[in-house]
Amino acid sequence: MEGHSRRDLIRIAAGAVAAVPVIAQPVSAQEAAAPRFFTPVEFQMVDELTEIIIPADDHSPGARAAKVATYLDKSLAEAFESEPRTKFREGLKLVDNMSRELNQKTFMESTPKQRVGVVAQMARNEKSPKKPEEHFFVQLKASTAFAYYTSSIGIHQEMEYKGNTMQTEYAGFDAGLVPIQLPESSK
Amino acid sequence: MQSPSAPGPQVDLKIVYDAIVVGSGAAGGMAAHVLTAKGMKVLLLEAGKQLDTTKELKSMEWPYDHPRRGEMPPGYHPLGMNEYNVRNPPYAKDSKYPHVESYVQGWNGPDYSKNIVVDEKDHPYTGSKYAWVRARCVGGKTNIWGRLALRLSDYDFKAKSRDGFGEDWPISYADIAPYYDKVDLYLGVSGHKENLPYLPDSLFQRPNKLTASELHLRAELAKMGRVLTPYRAGVTTDGLKHNKYRSKCFGRGACDRRAGGCDIHAAFDSPTGLIRPAMDTGNLTLRPNSTVYEVTVDKSTGKARGVSFIDTESGKTYEARARVVILGASTLESARLLMLSKSSQHPNGIGNSSNHVGHNFCEHVMGPGINGLVKDLVGKPRTLDDGRPGSFYLARFRNLSDKQSNFIRGYGYEGSSGTTMIPGNAFEALGFGTSYKKAVRDYAGAYISMGAFGEVLPRYENGVSIDPDVKDKWGVPVLKFNYHFGDNEKKMAADMAVSAKEMFEAAGIEVVSVNREILTEGWSIHELGTSRMGNDPKTSVLNQFQQSHDVPNLMVVDGSSHVNASCQNPTWTIMALCWRSCDHVADELRKGNV
Repeated sequence: MEGHSRRDLIRIAAGAVAAVPVIAQPVSAQEAAAPRFFTPVEFQMVDELTEIIIPADDHSPGARAAKVATYLDKSLAEAFESEPRTKFREGLKLVDNMSRELNQKTFMESTPKQRVGVVAQMARNEKSPKKPEEHFFVQLKASTAFAYYTSSIGIHQEMEYKGNTMQTEYAGFDAGLVPIQLPESSK
Repeated sequence: MQSPSAPGPQVDLKIVYDAIVVGSGAAGGMAAHVLTAKGMKVLLLEAGKQLDTTKELKSMEWPYDHPRRGEMPPGYHPLGMNEYNVRNPPYAKDSKYPHVESYVQGWNGPDYSKNIVVDEKDHPYTGSKYAWVRARCVGGKTNIWGRLALRLSDYDFKAKSRDGFGEDWPISYADIAPYYDKVDLYLGVSGHKENLPYLPDSLFQRPNKLTASELHLRAELAKMGRVLTPYRAGVTTDGLKHNKYRSKCFGRGACDRRAGGCDIHAAFDSPTGLIRPAMDTGNLTLRPNSTVYEVTVDKSTGKARGVSFIDTESGKTYEARARVVILGASTLESARLLMLSKSSQHPNGIGNSSNHVGHNFCEHVMGPGINGLVKDLVGKPRTLDDGRPGSFYLARFRNLSDKQSNFIRGYGYEGSSGTTMIPGNAFEALGFGTSYKKAVRDYAGAYISMGAFGEVLPRYENGVSIDPDVKDKWGVPVLKFNYHFGDNEKKMAADMAVSAKEMFEAAGIEVVSVNREILTEGWSIHELGTSRMGNDPKTSVLNQFQQSHDVPNLMVVDGSSHVNASCQNPTWTIMALCWRSCDHVADELRKGNV
């Protein structure tokens, strides 16, 4: 079978996503106004958090334009187990608690700069998270990255992917391009 | 291109077929092809269902056009490495999930293969830890295989003569080479000629190309006498004029995004490569949903009379009869079937007077590997790198002209590099915001990785037996594993990691991570050797033509017959051996010798 290692890496990193079956549907204005799992306030928070993680820049639109929050909402609404829903909701409460500690305001009441500061605090130990809010950041980021880089914006505008079409020639270089002289012993 | 699925002639259980073939994957499909081409009437029984894989696989569907971006529906659960290692089989017992599937369903896009692999709840097994991947449907695992199509050499067939371990095969490379050629020409294989005696070339169609980092690594490794070659893919890259069910490869790039599969069938699969053409002869009858549970015996002669099978939909049982019974149910399922077929003539299971059925079970050990960064490529314009049937293969280099002090045999690496549709480094890069986003863009094409596949030695004590206490959904007793990696595998695996690091460092590739952990037994999906061939009926189950020593009209044509695992992927060898054996047995039948 196929070498597994790289694909496994992706899956392991995206473990939080893997455990959460996810749904993407065309978003009507009505759906955007009525999330299925998040409360309206939670939805706004997730929309803002994901945009801070993957923002619009001069290269391409960000998580908000790619409707990452809508995607996460559907995925949590459809999850087979309740645990991912509980954990996500707890994570959002942690964000508000941190925001109150740092800025004496909820996350959404804070200024854009203060919000980035809250996320920076959560992201401090990304390599080896210890506190609950640090774990939540790792999970939120993996979910955001999966939703963004599988979206049309992520694939076509951000990564400018040119494949998944019929090609006449393979990409790359012929193996024979560099003449290889093998030592006699290995022949 | 025509659909891979079609109804065949009606099954007639009153007649005696020339041959019954059990299993429709690489082995069973090949047996059906060879025998029907000779005018023999063949009944092909497949335990699983008939799927239209062209519709299942949807190779070009964009992630955002799928309702769950390729994920399985809620309630489907793929087993993970921790579950295999922490628990004991049956892994799906008492699971809270309605559907449990093997670890390959944890890869990207598992929704496309969820109907191809089995639900572990219906197919339990017991004993030691083993990550068993099964596909019960017409074509079996060939519908999603990794496509690496390699030949074995006399370094493998005569391995005992070189290092003293195990047994030599009863054939040499010269015996099988003409049949490798036939398989190459009939099914198509792409690759680059290297003239290596330990990894013989096939009759290659157009090879896939290498990325800049792969080309660089190839040149650096050549200085060490090691060979990195374009992936030798069982894919027709130039097309096959004689097969109207398969298109040539158009480099669309879905090969690495999913568990596998190709909806234009440029990658070989048994339904379009072998079974449909065999049906066109008018000599093949295919019956899906037919789980064979016993090889029946002629009481007067002790020879095989036919098989008993269960219709998996109705639960009814039937017997079909034939002049020769050919098992190609997979290495483990064929062993299970032989051991289940007990009679007064064959009290130990049919074909098992040697007590070797189920033993000498081997495969490939994997896990150790490396991920590296080619710094020169960071920030360079991203190229399209995934429109290829595969990336690269790094051929074996241990115990050829050298002799390692602490292990015998060898290993090769499969690897890949460059950009993909969904950037893997998005899940590795640290931080957030515009700097994170830019880092993902700049580094996406700069990584190169590879993982090793090493030969597991065939040892008598490694095996499977029947567990009389546990039955599958259809009431058939299941397999019990007693299979463990040994000292040679562990030492070889340690060397895999060390030499991967040495090679990347020698090539000036920055090492990002080295994996030293061995994956659970079974992970390679290359199980082999439970009914090995040999010249001595006391120490082998089959002769060199895969005929039972005890029962000449019974053959086992899948990986069961392999005497050792080599480190090369087995599918092409399974098909070449099967072709050779079926040629021989068809002659013997004509002469009345079987």
